[in-house]
Amino acid sequence: MNQELTEKLTDLLSQVTGYIYPNEIEIHWSILIVVYPYVTGVVAGAFILASLVKVFNVEEVRPTYRLSLLTALSFLLVAPLPLNLHLGHPERAYEIFLTPNLRSAMAMFGFVYAWYLMGVLLLEIWFEYRGDLVVWSREKQFPMKWIYRLLSLFSNDISKRALEFDHKAAKAITIIGIPSAFLLHGYVGFIFGSVKANPWWSSVLMPIVFLMSAIVSGIALIIFLYMVITPIRGETIDMRCLDRLASFLFYAVIVDFSLEALDFVHRLYESEESVKILATLINQKLFMSLLIIQVLLGMIIPSAMLVAGRAWRLSEELRKLLYFTACILIQVGIFSTRWNVVIGGQLFSKSLRGLTTYKMEVIGSEGLMMALALLVLPFVILTILVKLIPPWKEASRQTS
Amino acid sequence: MPKKVPEQIIRLGIVISIIFGSVALTLYLLPPALKDKPFHRRSTILAETAKPIQFAGSNACADCHDDKYQQKKTGYHRNLSCETCHGPAAEHAADPITIKPFVARERRGCPTCHEYDPSRPTGFPQINPTIHNPLQPCVTCHNPHDPVPPRTPEECAACHAGIVRTKAISSHALVACTTCHTVPEKHKITPRIIRPTKPETRDFCGKCHAKGAPVVDAPKIDLSTHWEKYVCWQCHYPHLPAERL
Ligand code: HEC
Ligand code: HEC
Ligand code: HEC
Ligand code: HEC
Ligand code: HEC
Ligand code: HEC
Ligand code: HEC
Ligand code: HEC
Repeated sequence: MNQELTEKLTDLLSQVTGYIYPNEIEIHWSILIVVYPYVTGVVAGAFILASLVKVFNVEEVRPTYRLSLLTALSFLLVAPLPLNLHLGHPERAYEIFLTPNLRSAMAMFGFVYAWYLMGVLLLEIWFEYRGDLVVWSREKQFPMKWIYRLLSLFSNDISKRALEFDHKAAKAITIIGIPSAFLLHGYVGFIFGSVKANPWWSSVLMPIVFLMSAIVSGIALIIFLYMVITPIRGETIDMRCLDRLASFLFYAVIVDFSLEALDFVHRLYESEESVKILATLINQKLFMSLLIIQVLLGMIIPSAMLVAGRAWRLSEELRKLLYFTACILIQVGIFSTRWNVVIGGQLFSKSLRGLTTYKMEVIGSEGLMMALALLVLPFVILTILVKLIPPWKEASRQTS
Repeated sequence: MPKKVPEQIIRLGIVISIIFGSVALTLYLLPPALKDKPFHRRSTILAETAKPIQFAGSNACADCHDDKYQQKKTGYHRNLSCETCHGPAAEHAADPITIKPFVARERRGCPTCHEYDPSRPTGFPQINPTIHNPLQPCVTCHNPHDPVPPRTPEECAACHAGIVRTKAISSHALVACTTCHTVPEKHKITPRIIRPTKPETRDFCGKCHAKGAPVVDAPKIDLSTHWEKYVCWQCHYPHLPAERL
């Protein structure tokens, strides 16, 4: 046996407990694959929040409508990047469209993504902003003027009838958009839930659990952004809006929590042959990230905070503080939910007899730094979008 | 008054038809060669073939090391490739004088395959490296290219370590292997060719377990009623009989 190889294997063995197949020692779906469902989750959640305004006419949360759309867009633009980086050869990504494989759920990502981006989100944003874009293109000076003209696709009709049409179209698109957002994130859950060889993933509840946690993370992020951006703009936070958002967030957390608990109890009761290794997985490898961060810090404490804010009629300042902390905790919790699914599912052997350890790279295309960069990037995009098409100025509504 | 098509629809229509147009263009107008699967895999193949060749293959070594090759060909290590032990040696085969392959002369090389591990197949020669002639390199007694033990092993444990360990803690611990298996001496030299016998009938176990059999401490059963349609080892693993299937 080659000495180098022997030494390498001996080295690796220290990260293994029990019996494990050789190709399971190293984890292949790295932290980037954790970032991917997290980011798509925010997209779906933010979009569903936006649809509350458009379709269900929840007027209180209107101040966050456009912000939600732009947030969804900036996260959606980042969503394929972790996959590209993980797979390598981004220059071949277009081939997923040219050589469609209808039998592979993973290969359908391109189409799910393209539909959601082009068929739903961009269209809705365009209809929502078209009137404003026309107004801005008339007001602004040379370079910006042309950018706005281009963005509005050179349209210039801002008659009442045209704006009315925009409004109706946006509403119709939202109605199509809700199932599409469910599809997008349900799809990500399906990718994991359909891996029948992996007892930690294989569950029909997976798409639904993913979806609910997506809604949780989306709403929490919008609350966070709203609470950060509004003071920066020198405006006051609309407490009616905030309270309403917080109660939606609370319901979403409750449903999410119950679903995950249901999944858990179901597995425990079924007690398939995998139950022992999964129990060790939770006790040894995921204790911190599952029980402490995901369940305690990410669900129980924040929902207690949300309830406390409402139940005891606390002062505005205190409520804001509670909501704000809860949102941050929830983000961390949802991120570790993704972590527990993606990384957790690879930590145990298919022989159900051993565990391995995930050693994260720090630098490198699949390392921690890259993941952090990918998590910051949507906020950079959002800043640009907010500068370019501010969500709070409804110019056309004022002029017409 | 005929209803006018809204301006927005026209503009979006243009954009959408451009997108669909270019998709259709790529799908129908691209020459088939560009949509060929081999074409899309070409770069992967090129990237793979560009990697330097590491292994020369067993037959390459025979050209210059015919002695070792011939030795190994008939020995127990015949199924191992030279480079399993010596590491990738393509560079050595190309330039034998300056580049020397790895030679594992120390003790720890051999136990990667020969250390006792219950998951190894029946009969695979296994030793416990801490107690098997410690401190000396394995090659002082075994020729790596034709490993024969310096003397024929007396214990079945040299090759059936798993069974020996299992039986040692079973209720058959005091029943010798040779009570149930007749082992020709040659089995220990060419084990795959010369095989021991195995019990074949229920009466064999009955010698100790049937009602009235002379062995006092063996628990008794009635051979004519105790699962008479089956041979005993369909339910009792003879090397660990308490474990019933
Ligand atoms: C072109 C002829 C040639 C080929 C092919 C070749 N070798 Fe060698 N090998 C040599 C020569 C010459 C030496 C040096 C002998 C010496 O220095 O005494 C050598 C030495 C060795 C040594 C001893 C190194 C040492 O440190 O003492 C090993 C081991 C070895 N070869 C293995 C291999 C293996 C394995 C292959 C097949 C992949 C191979 N060789 C193919 C010519 C060859
Ligand atoms: C089971 C592992 C193993 C395999 C398989 C193996 N070798 Fe070796 N080889 C060794 C070891 C260990 C030594 C060192 C022997 C010593 O120092 O006495 C060695 C030594 C050598 C040497 C140096 C000889 C010397 O006397 O210094 C050559 C040449 C060599 N092997 C060639 C080969 C070739 C050619 C093959 C394939 C036909 C081969 N080996 C297969 C383990 C192996
Ligand atoms: C890559 C795995 C591997 C390595 C490394 C290896 N062997 Fe083996 N060894 C085998 C296999 C396979 C057999 C054949 C077993 C069989 O016939 O069932 C074997 C058989 C043997 C036998 C038993 C022959 C018999 O009487 O049945 C001895 C002794 C032996 N090897 C010694 C060594 C020594 C000494 C080394 C180190 C120089 C070594 N082996 C390295 C795989 C290996
Ligand atoms: C002092 C000489 C000596 C050394 C050193 C030595 N062995 Fe042995 N080995 C023997 C003898 C003698 C037997 C046969 C008798 C027995 O059962 O112990 C044997 C038996 C074996 C067997 C059982 C298979 C068979 O053919 O009987 C294996 C495998 C084996 N040795 C591997 C190794 C390995 C690996 C090393 C190095 C870690 C090693 N030996 C070191 C002398 C040695
Ligand atoms: C040199 C190694 C070696 C030694 C020593 C050895 N065996 Fe084996 N034995 C083997 C191998 C190799 C096989 C074949 C396993 C196979 O092909 O599945 C085997 C097979 C057997 C079988 C099964 C035969 C069959 O047809 O399924 C029995 C029984 C057996 N051995 C008993 C013994 C007993 C009892 C001893 C001790 C007295 C012993 N062996 C010593 C290597 C050994
Ligand atoms: C009580 C009687 C008995 C004793 C004692 C016994 N065997 Fe067996 N052995 C059997 C029977 C019966 C079979 C056939 C089992 C079958 O075909 O499923 C067998 C099968 C085997 C086999 C081949 C199947 C296998 O499990 O790999 C090997 C090797 C073997 N015995 C080795 C040994 C060795 C070594 C010992 C001593 C440590 C031993 N046996 C002691 C009854 C016995
Ligand atoms: C040489 C006599 C002998 C032969 C042959 C023999 N056994 Fe036994 N067996 C014993 C003895 C003695 C015990 C009880 C040991 C004790 O528990 O003290 C025993 C115990 C058992 C037990 C009870 C295990 C428990 O702990 O409950 C079973 C089952 C058994 N043997 C099955 C078999 C089968 C099957 C065979 C045939 C392959 C067989 N025996 C052949 C002597 C024998
Ligand atoms: C169909 C499966 C089956 C077959 C075949 C079978 N047994 Fe059993 N045997 C059992 C079971 C189950 C028990 C335990 C029943 C009990 O405790 O009453 C048992 C009990 C025993 C016991 C008593 C153990 C004790 O602690 O009292 C002995 C001895 C025994 N078997 C020997 C044999 C022998 C010898 C044969 C072949 C002639 C054989 N058995 C065939 C299933 C089987």
